[in-house]
Amino acid sequence: MSWIGYGLRGGILTTRYPNGDDSMPPAYRGEIDVIGSAPVDAAIGAGVCLSNAIVVADGAAYVDRLRCFQCGECTRVAPDTFHARSHFELAQPVQSPEATFTALRKRSRAFGRSVHLRHVDAGSDGSEEQELAAIFNPFYDANRLGIFLTATPRHADVLIVTGVVTRAMAEPLQRTYDAMPDPKTVIALGTSACSGGIFAGSAEVVGPVSRLLPVDVMIPGSPPAPLTILHGLWVALGQALARGANR
Amino acid sequence: MSMTPASLQTTAYRRIEAGARLAWIFADRIEPETILHYVLEEDGRLHDLSGPLLDSAQALSPHVPAADWYERELTERFGVKLEGLPEGRPLTEIVPAAQLLGVESSEVSTVLYGPVRSGIVESARWIVETAGEDFIDVHPSMFFKHRGLEERFTSTPLELAPFVAEHVSGVTAASHAAAFCRAAERAMGIEAPERARATRAALVELERVHQHLDSLAKLAEDGSLSVGSAQVFAAKERMHRLLAQATGNRFSRGVICVGGTRFDALTSLREACAKDLDLVEHHARAAVGRLIKTQSFVDRLIGTGRLAHDLVVRCAGVGPVARGSGVSSDVRASDGYLYTPLLAEEALERNGDAVSRALVRVAELQRSFQLARNALDANPPGPYAAPIRVADGAALARVESPQGELLYFVRIHNGAIARVAIRSASYANWPLFVPSLPGNIFTDFSFIEHSFAASQSEVDR
Repeated sequence: MSWIGYGLRGGILTTRYPNGDDSMPPAYRGEIDVIGSAPVDAAIGAGVCLSNAIVVADGAAYVDRLRCFQCGECTRVAPDTFHARSHFELAQPVQSPEATFTALRKRSRAFGRSVHLRHVDAGSDGSEEQELAAIFNPFYDANRLGIFLTATPRHADVLIVTGVVTRAMAEPLQRTYDAMPDPKTVIALGTSACSGGIFAGSAEVVGPVSRLLPVDVMIPGSPPAPLTILHGLWVALGQALARGANR
Repeated sequence: MSMTPASLQTTAYRRIEAGARLAWIFADRIEPETILHYVLEEDGRLHDLSGPLLDSAQALSPHVPAADWYERELTERFGVKLEGLPEGRPLTEIVPAAQLLGVESSEVSTVLYGPVRSGIVESARWIVETAGEDFIDVHPSMFFKHRGLEERFTSTPLELAPFVAEHVSGVTAASHAAAFCRAAERAMGIEAPERARATRAALVELERVHQHLDSLAKLAEDGSLSVGSAQVFAAKERMHRLLAQATGNRFSRGVICVGGTRFDALTSLREACAKDLDLVEHHARAAVGRLIKTQSFVDRLIGTGRLAHDLVVRCAGVGPVARGSGVSSDVRASDGYLYTPLLAEEALERNGDAVSRALVRVAELQRSFQLARNALDANPPGPYAAPIRVADGAALARVESPQGELLYFVRIHNGAIARVAIRSASYANWPLFVPSLPGNIFTDFSFIEHSFAASQSEVDR
């Protein structure tokens, strides 16, 4: 039997997301919530969170999703305070959602019916690349949404940056950005790219990405799941309003 | 074992001449001295020869090719001076592109490939001297992704340090966390309970499945076999979904900790695998089986990126790259691996080309499903973590990661992490990439690269 016959026999695997619903397995640690009325001791944050994602102000706490690398240690140490949810729509625009929505919509109209992505690894741990590649596998098939990869920055509409931006990658990253035609959208993919993650403040890094380039959309996660990336691309195209973006 | 300093390099050299494999050379700074460690493997066991660095220390690399990268990194990063070290382009320092493009003749041109390359790939640069289609010479120019991970450990509490290990290579997070934790446990003189060891073994085997599928899918993609590649990637996706349900993360992060595991992951793994592992295996076997029966694909790989047996031995290659050239190298076969009753029969091929490395991965893939099941079915009772009694000490540990032997050194001093050194399998194998190229043409590059399946982030650290 030919490969094509074999492929067809497998039936349709592809999600309908973002036009329909999809979900991550219930046990997936997507986002950490602070349980409503729990009093939070400021000391908890410093002791359990390697990336300082737990922010405590006036006795109330929240978890900064751009810093959280989803390890789940806080939920293990303080299960009465922190709770992990399988929520995967984690992307947030850098500007206010409404302004971004309008601006990005306008810009993506200029891209026409399809957008071309150019990826640059600026110092990732390698998993962001595999998850980004996964959006083109049969389960997600980003091509159906008019999303394509391009090898040259000259054809690119969207720059996706993974990794924390090491000293050595700052210049190649800038050159790739400069080589792209306007209008262009920049996405920081992964917790390290969004906030520096566990490397924030390290002498070896010059990131996060927003220190070097005008980032439009942050897609956190360590690594972000393919559904999270699809959601983030949808936000970047002005098609979706990110929830909870004001946090 | 501590030696009198004058004899350290000589002793190491004699033992390598007598057949020992040089697994690693690294430095540890214990003020006011720099301690050099020469890690050798003899009869399946690791020996750590260490002693203070003296002015008269000789470089091994003029006689031992496997020492090349280690000695150059020591010189550039640690200021270690070794006599007789050959001059050459720096290994870890980034040379500006303009300085590299100086030499050019009418026949040979120098092409800089990277660090930003086409497709979704990790950043690395190759300096390629070429006369049209043929490779004349290739120099790796890497470490663009250096994030200072070994130093990051030393400011981290022991309980949280496995998360740093998971950042060294996110795609093989379980291997890195297991190797780090094992070294830390040995340094403190504790051992993880049997239940935790079985969990770690299962996680590393399931990780091997998704990474071997990744390598094979990328090879299929290089061969323009788009349906084949899509089917193998789909099988990989099924494994990530299983892991997301069983561990809360698609790459099994956040499970392994010093002393054992953070929660009773064996129970959740057993549940998820009882439900879905047969189906994942069915799809993986079907897609991969069909791939290696596709003659046009296999023909493309035959003879591509050939590595002779002797070369692999001299350069001390590890993992599927070594096994593809018939060189036995599987930590799982050695004493007291992660979980003792889990003995792997080694997959060996002889031809040393890209198809041999692919066939090794196909054979291992099938065994990894079985090994994971063995560990899950054993279901050792008892606690999943041992209490940590912090004690000073230093130790090495190794794990067979999907890319091959992964080594961690951990030293604990005054109850805190004083030094972590990492020798990844990708690091050990990259020096073999260059000699695999001559005789091949430009379009073979990505086939050979994907047949190595190296993770750049664990090389650069």
